[in-house]
Amino acid sequence: MADLFQDYPFGRAWDEMFSGPGVIRPAYESVHAALQTLSAADLKARADIMGRTFLDQGITFALGGVERPFPLDLIPRIVTAQEWKVVQTGVPQRVRALEAFLADCYGPGRIFEDGVVPRRLVTTSPHFHRQVAGMAHQDGARIVISGVDLIRDEHGAFRVLEDNVRVPSGVSYVLENRQAVSQVLSEAGGDSQIRSVAEYPGRLLAALRAVGPDNVSDPTVVVLTPGVYNSAYFEHTLLAREMGVELVEGRDLICRNNRVFVRTTGGEMPVHVIYRRLDDEFLDPMQFRLDSMLGSPGLINAARAGHLTIANAVGNGIADDKLVYTYVPDIIRYYLSEEPILLNVDTYRMEEPDHLEYALEHLAELVIKPVDGSGGKGIVIGSHADASTLSKARQAILENPRGWIAQREIALSTVPTLIGDKVRPRHVDLRPFAVNDGNSVWVLPGGLTRVALPEGELVVNSSQGGGSKDTWVLAAPESPRTEPDLEQQSSLPAQPEDMEPLVGWQESEAQSTGAFFFDPPVTPDDDGAGLRHQQGQQQQHRRAAATAGSPTALPDGQSFSSTPAGQ
Amino acid sequence: MSVGTADITNGSNYGSDIWRLLIVHRTELTYPDTVTTSYNEFRMQPSDEPGQAVLSSRMEIDPFEGVTSYLDYFGTRVASFDVHRAHRHLTVTATSTVETFPATAFGAGGYGAGTAHPDEMTWEQLVSSDCHDRYEEFLTPTHLTELNDELNGLSEQIRAQARNPSAAGREVCSLLKKSLKYEQGATGVHTSAVEAWTEKRGVCQDFSHLAIGMLRAMSIPTRYVSGYLHPDKDAEIGKTVIGQSHAWIEWFDGMWVPYDPTNASSPGHSHVVVGRGRDYRDVPPVKGVYAGPEASGNEVTVRVTRLR
Repeated sequence: MADLFQDYPFGRAWDEMFSGPGVIRPAYESVHAALQTLSAADLKARADIMGRTFLDQGITFALGGVERPFPLDLIPRIVTAQEWKVVQTGVPQRVRALEAFLADCYGPGRIFEDGVVPRRLVTTSPHFHRQVAGMAHQDGARIVISGVDLIRDEHGAFRVLEDNVRVPSGVSYVLENRQAVSQVLSEAGGDSQIRSVAEYPGRLLAALRAVGPDNVSDPTVVVLTPGVYNSAYFEHTLLAREMGVELVEGRDLICRNNRVFVRTTGGEMPVHVIYRRLDDEFLDPMQFRLDSMLGSPGLINAARAGHLTIANAVGNGIADDKLVYTYVPDIIRYYLSEEPILLNVDTYRMEEPDHLEYALEHLAELVIKPVDGSGGKGIVIGSHADASTLSKARQAILENPRGWIAQREIALSTVPTLIGDKVRPRHVDLRPFAVNDGNSVWVLPGGLTRVALPEGELVVNSSQGGGSKDTWVLAAPESPRTEPDLEQQSSLPAQPEDMEPLVGWQESEAQSTGAFFFDPPVTPDDDGAGLRHQQGQQQQHRRAAATAGSPTALPDGQSFSSTPAGQ
Repeated sequence: MSVGTADITNGSNYGSDIWRLLIVHRTELTYPDTVTTSYNEFRMQPSDEPGQAVLSSRMEIDPFEGVTSYLDYFGTRVASFDVHRAHRHLTVTATSTVETFPATAFGAGGYGAGTAHPDEMTWEQLVSSDCHDRYEEFLTPTHLTELNDELNGLSEQIRAQARNPSAAGREVCSLLKKSLKYEQGATGVHTSAVEAWTEKRGVCQDFSHLAIGMLRAMSIPTRYVSGYLHPDKDAEIGKTVIGQSHAWIEWFDGMWVPYDPTNASSPGHSHVVVGRGRDYRDVPPVKGVYAGPEASGNEVTVRVTRLR
């Protein structure tokens, strides 16, 4: 029954299962053996069961307004204990360094004074939120949840593709994929010790409680979702349910005198930690977008006053900026006095003349990325682009060098994937999820392996038709298998029926009317009763455009960001 | 964000050159219907810094349910509060007593009208200094300060002819005073520099936004200053007059040099700093949101009394 792997092709990319034609890497032996006993029809039938199960359970993501099951390939991706060590130490190192960087950027700015990175790198970032400058109480816990995207290069080395320390999503698929694959491919696990992913919600809750306000001994945690129209709503419900905490929307929250409460059928309950799944700009209309109905006014000042912890902290987006990414190795050396464990992809900064010159000369060999893009949008893969696309890219770079980086094309590693009735190599990346409780950073042994399903597709992304695989991290032979029980308290969000919906947030703005001239002097009436009431300058109001529950704004960070590479 | 380091604690050295100003800034927001929840931030307390000393500062808020005070990113004091009871009016009165010192009393040699400070930079020094990284935020146009072709052209001309950045700063302000008619109510808080220039009229913040835009176009870091103005430079002691919220600018040429483009002169005793930012939007005196129907009015009065 070797049909499945017949004519399995090998290219420049590192194949995770085969080190050469017919040569199976040891970690994959049992999976390979199990597959050998199955026909293509068997596999197809099992895959269909998985797909139906996902749809039935509502494990979907929205693409173009249509709910679809997130395609899951049943052949797992396997990482050995030895290989995992790099991830398990490299990701926390990165998180610790970025923590220090964020605290510095919103604090004293030491790294700028010392000339390690330019200050304008941060001040020109659209995610640098001056509203939270000087708020130090979350130092050490600005990045509670991170999803640092990794790829393996042609030599099998892990490299960081980008950092996601805003609102990384996808962990629900890690949990669900494991259940689905273990049900339909139970024979494939064999003797290998696959480390459990089930402890994630418990770890997350413990960390969220640990980073709560100092003076609260038993902090209340909630998950804040933009609502049912968000593409990751399924994940928000799953995490809230698994952690046993309330899932709330902005309208369920009220801030009073810098304290936050959630309205429940049983009255108002204080809230101390918000695991928010909406972007900064939508969190607090008082400080950001007045027209957002997704958040709740007053959250930022509640955090400023130390009565609320927002996870992840507001303003983390500067660390996700792809231009900042190019400095992360220096950032690690500067704050930690350590050498980076995980490599970056070689990257050119378009603001540096020699980099720019090189990139413009070699556009057709490079990957051009917008520094602020997500979901694979705006990426140009030089070797695949026609002349007109390259010329447009060149112009865009020249017009806004701050807006672009160029990277060496890397052939992402491949994993055998069921395509029709054959198994074929497909490019993958890996998003390990790390949880920081303020003292230590724990990496979930697993992570989301995303697959580019179309042949030769270089952008691995759910919004670009990607799928996923279960990721098996193998335990070192001597370490015991841990399978902790999860407390599952179901808790449905209370819908406050007696609450009148907010009509909309209006802006109050008042300004008296400007200057006087010295010449001619103004001689105002000084009779107290005759004090002229100066009409303020036209007060301008913007009517809140969005209505509650409107699907217009669906921010959820960098959900499923892109992974381009050459092949 | 301070403008000098000279010792200003010993007021007796300057005798009657010190002014003491009492500023009462009252804002009343009126809502068209009962509002049950509002969130507000007020920036109307003078800054304690070289050049001025705050003797007392208090805010009265009605209805009052507590207030939090903090310094924002640009160093401006913010009073933040929310109200959760039914109200149709929100009244905030900021009362401050401030001593202001003459320009010559602080800064290295002062920066009085028309006179250069010793560290005044040449164009070459400005370009070679690291201030373009440090002050990127005060070099980048904002929506309110960006220029059109005509204004860019004027900036280029002034840049070509001005001896140094400070001379360019004064030249820009002089041009604006000649070209624009000061007219209250002609523009609003969202009026951009280009709109004011097209209208050929505006108020202090329009003059300031235009000056900021033009100086930034010459790569001179320039920031927006929000504050108060006593309208009479020979103010009579003890007489309460209608003052104003005011705006002016500071440009950087080795130190931050304040200048009042509306009046084309250096700020003096009668100017009181509240805070700074990239443009008006970073230092609005009142900012807030409330749940409820749109519109309403507001009344703002600033009363200033020179006490000494």
